[in-house]
Amino acid sequence: MKYFMKVLLAESYKQHRNYFNNRLIYVSLFVWPMFSFLAAYYSYRAFDFGGNIISYISTENILVFILLGYMAMSFFRSVVQSAWNFSRERQSGTLEYIYLSPANRLAVLLGNALSSVFESAVVMFIFGMLIILFNRSALNVNIVGLILVLAIFMVMALLWGVFLNACFLYSRDTDFLFTILEEPMEIFAGVKVPVVIFPGWARIISCIFPLTYVLEALRQVSLNAASISSIKTTILISLVIIMVLLGATLITIQIVEKHMRKTGNVVLF
Amino acid sequence: MIEVHNLKKTYDVKRRQNFFHSTREKVEAVKDISMKIEAGQIVGLLGINGAGKTTTIKMLTTLIEPTSGSYMFDGMDALMNPHQVKKQINMIAGGERMIYWRLTAYENLWYYGQLYGIENNELRRRIDKLLKLVGLEDKANLPVETFSKGMKQRLQIARGMINNPKYIFLDEPTIGLDAVVTQELHEEIKNLAKEQGKGILLTSHYLSEVEELCDYIYMVNNGELVVEGTKKELTDFVFTKKYYAFSVQGMDEAVVAKLRNHLLILDGDSSVELEGRTANISSRLELSSILAEFAVREGLVINELHKLEPSLEQAVIKLSKNIEREEKGIA
Repeated sequence: MKYFMKVLLAESYKQHRNYFNNRLIYVSLFVWPMFSFLAAYYSYRAFDFGGNIISYISTENILVFILLGYMAMSFFRSVVQSAWNFSRERQSGTLEYIYLSPANRLAVLLGNALSSVFESAVVMFIFGMLIILFNRSALNVNIVGLILVLAIFMVMALLWGVFLNACFLYSRDTDFLFTILEEPMEIFAGVKVPVVIFPGWARIISCIFPLTYVLEALRQVSLNAASISSIKTTILISLVIIMVLLGATLITIQIVEKHMRKTGNVVLF
Repeated sequence: MIEVHNLKKTYDVKRRQNFFHSTREKVEAVKDISMKIEAGQIVGLLGINGAGKTTTIKMLTTLIEPTSGSYMFDGMDALMNPHQVKKQINMIAGGERMIYWRLTAYENLWYYGQLYGIENNELRRRIDKLLKLVGLEDKANLPVETFSKGMKQRLQIARGMINNPKYIFLDEPTIGLDAVVTQELHEEIKNLAKEQGKGILLTSHYLSEVEELCDYIYMVNNGELVVEGTKKELTDFVFTKKYYAFSVQGMDEAVVAKLRNHLLILDGDSSVELEGRTANISSRLELSSILAEFAVREGLVINELHKLEPSLEQAVIKLSKNIEREEKGIA
């Protein structure tokens, strides 16, 4: 376990030093999601929420509703980007040396995702918390539920990052995953528009993204003071997703290394 | 000791025919290679481009799995225990990649040290020692991107020794380095093998480097072992004749003709060519005493008589040409 933690922390530190040298990167990580958030918010302002099909959304709390979506999205987006960044290690030749070492592969990938989550999402998180504090009247929070959902959310975001990392390592031609997962996740996971108002086909796509479930739970406990029992189905699905992601990640790590050793593609770029 | 037998690697390569169709074909990168690396020994792996050197190294470092063959690592089956092998090996490749340019030299070594689970105090000591060894102790806290090519390569060497490996694989380690740094590195490689007892496998395009460093050499071509042995065994294998430079006072065509006739009686394959005042002689026989006797008998005063030892470079070039001729079907 000590060795696992050493590798995890070393990888986190390396990623931080390697990709976050310039403070301006924090500005770009913050400014872009913030503009997207504002665009979404002001698009909603044109509509009247009286008699809305989602009972807990109102004109007062729509800002927090969307903001929660963007805060959650920034966590998930950061791990997708970190996975994409990690695949560049193949080009720089450093991936070969990571695989030459006996280091636990899960620790390396987890360290990479962990670094990215905290680095990328921290500014958006601080911004979001400040806005929410100024709009406290819009909140209707179940504290215990929120703590539980946040814990599930963090674990899920990290595992999503590790799983994607492993997928990106399978081949040098997996960059298309970045395109597939980046924008569609924002649209179909209900970041801007609630999933319940989607047509059937779009809801099927929503099911693919883990963010969909955990975001719904987060909004329910923050805006509707939902009890744990009332969101138990969402929590249960989230836990199942976590187990599936963990299993899929462990299997993918094995498959990736076996594939690399068979094809020699660890040195191809 | 590292011992591999009949190592083979076949890649399944996809060739795209058009947008919709592709075919798969087998490419044999390594057909049959057997070799040994003992502790304290520097072994050279030579071959022209595409010979299978890199694939062989990748198999020995467990990065690539052989299609067939056996690989024993200090008595342990390395193919069954790649994780155990990884702890005791490392690789140093030439070039400027494979290190993190935005990190400092110290941070690079610290990161790789952590990947090997080295205890923190021990890692600090080791990093200080290695940075001193490669002459980068004053640059420890500078980002690698500010380093020259030679400094980056020296950092690579320190990185390759961070886990104190028992066996080190050097893949073109001095490529692009200046003569002084190369010589320092040569001394260090010798020290690693002779003083610290590490087994080293070296591939290099600089044949003088292989000649200077290697105790034993394997030459591969087209994925197969062509010849193996010490430098002398290799040159003897390639050059079946012996070469002499012979010069006497008053050396002219008449003397050369007399010498030629004399040698042809002893060895029908011998040849004598006059170049300036020196006769260049080749023969299957040891000629030193024969040439001395010839000079005494003819009343000639010897100016020069020495046996020419072909270099490894000459041997490899000749061997490569022979192989090329064979492949083209030229008799």
